Amino acid sequence: MHEAGIALNLIEAVERRLQAQTDARVAVIHVRVGELAGVSTEALDFAFQCLSAGTRVQGARLVFEVVPLMLVCDACGVTSRVVDLVFRCPACGSEKTRVSTGRELEVRTLELAEEHEVAHA
Amino acid sequence: MHEIDVKAGLLEPNDAIARENREFLAEHGIYAVDIMSAPGSGKTSLLEWALPALADRYRLAVVEGDIVGNADKERLDGFGVPVYQINTGAACHLDARMVHPSLHRVAEAGAEVLLIENVGNLVCPAEFDLGEDDVVMLLSVTEGHDKPKKYPLMFRRADLVAINKVDLLDRTNFDLPGAIGAVRDVHPGVAVLTTSCRTGEGIEDVVAWLEWRIAAKRAALQHARAGAAPAGLAT
Repeated sequence: MHEAGIALNLIEAVERRLQAQTDARVAVIHVRVGELAGVSTEALDFAFQCLSAGTRVQGARLVFEVVPLMLVCDACGVTSRVVDLVFRCPACGSEKTRVSTGRELEVRTLELAEEHEVAHA
Repeated sequence: MHEIDVKAGLLEPNDAIARENREFLAEHGIYAVDIMSAPGSGKTSLLEWALPALADRYRLAVVEGDIVGNADKERLDGFGVPVYQINTGAACHLDARMVHPSLHRVAEAGAEVLLIENVGNLVCPAEFDLGEDDVVMLLSVTEGHDKPKKYPLMFRRADLVAINKVDLLDRTNFDLPGAIGAVRDVHPGVAVLTTSCRTGEGIEDVVAWLEWRIAAKRAALQHARAGAAPAGLAT
């Protein structure tokens, strides 16, 4: 349960990016989370809702893109999806593999609310 | 709808400090190992064996991470090694920022090897780089052989997995070959040893592994300095 700290980092990162945009409000925050990021999107969403109250990003919706856990084999070069948490290469059996995707944990983009949406808010 | 790029890593605030910690340790020639496991797997008991085994060859220091209290520090205070306690308050893991001030104290004490005992937890510590050189992880027999596939991130962070409390193997249904197989599924090529912090079985292997890693870091630092020196003289 370290999603609260990650939610705070998320809020800070978005607020920093918004500095130039004087009174823009954020409608949607796109977040990429790898399958092996070690983060629960539900817990992160809940922490964000709690911790964003009173900040510039209050009311924003988090949209998660879950990135599949993929391996690249350094021996044979094959890229494969990790099945049953076996990190050996399924093509050649080599142990010399690297995780190519699936460890992501980042804010990608923001969608700012239109003026009339702000008025309704 | 107006869309803007952010591309900000959400662990970057920690990772940035971890990089500073790693540079600080390299500058001061300190090897640091982060010891992680579930609560009660034997981290402090391993230190009780490792400190006397290493103390005649290296100047040691210990950082103890606990949510509250200093029970573990008290266990280790009698070994003649400086022990710095970090209380995380509510946090379930150490992070790079928490550890940073104690690194200065470790360097001032002239330590060459720093052993960090993380908060007992198989989930959160795996996410937070402290700037350490290696992660030693304990999996104790009483936890069960199914843990590698339930906590894959932790096992992937480990450089050495010590399966501890093997003196209890015949009292449990722990499947040792199955557990080692599961560790190697999740993290192919990782070093796996078996230990008992009660009888001392296998401890010398862990100590030998640490000595090998300490020597490897020293050689790497010397190599880097030798490479950097002529360039420094030329400017």
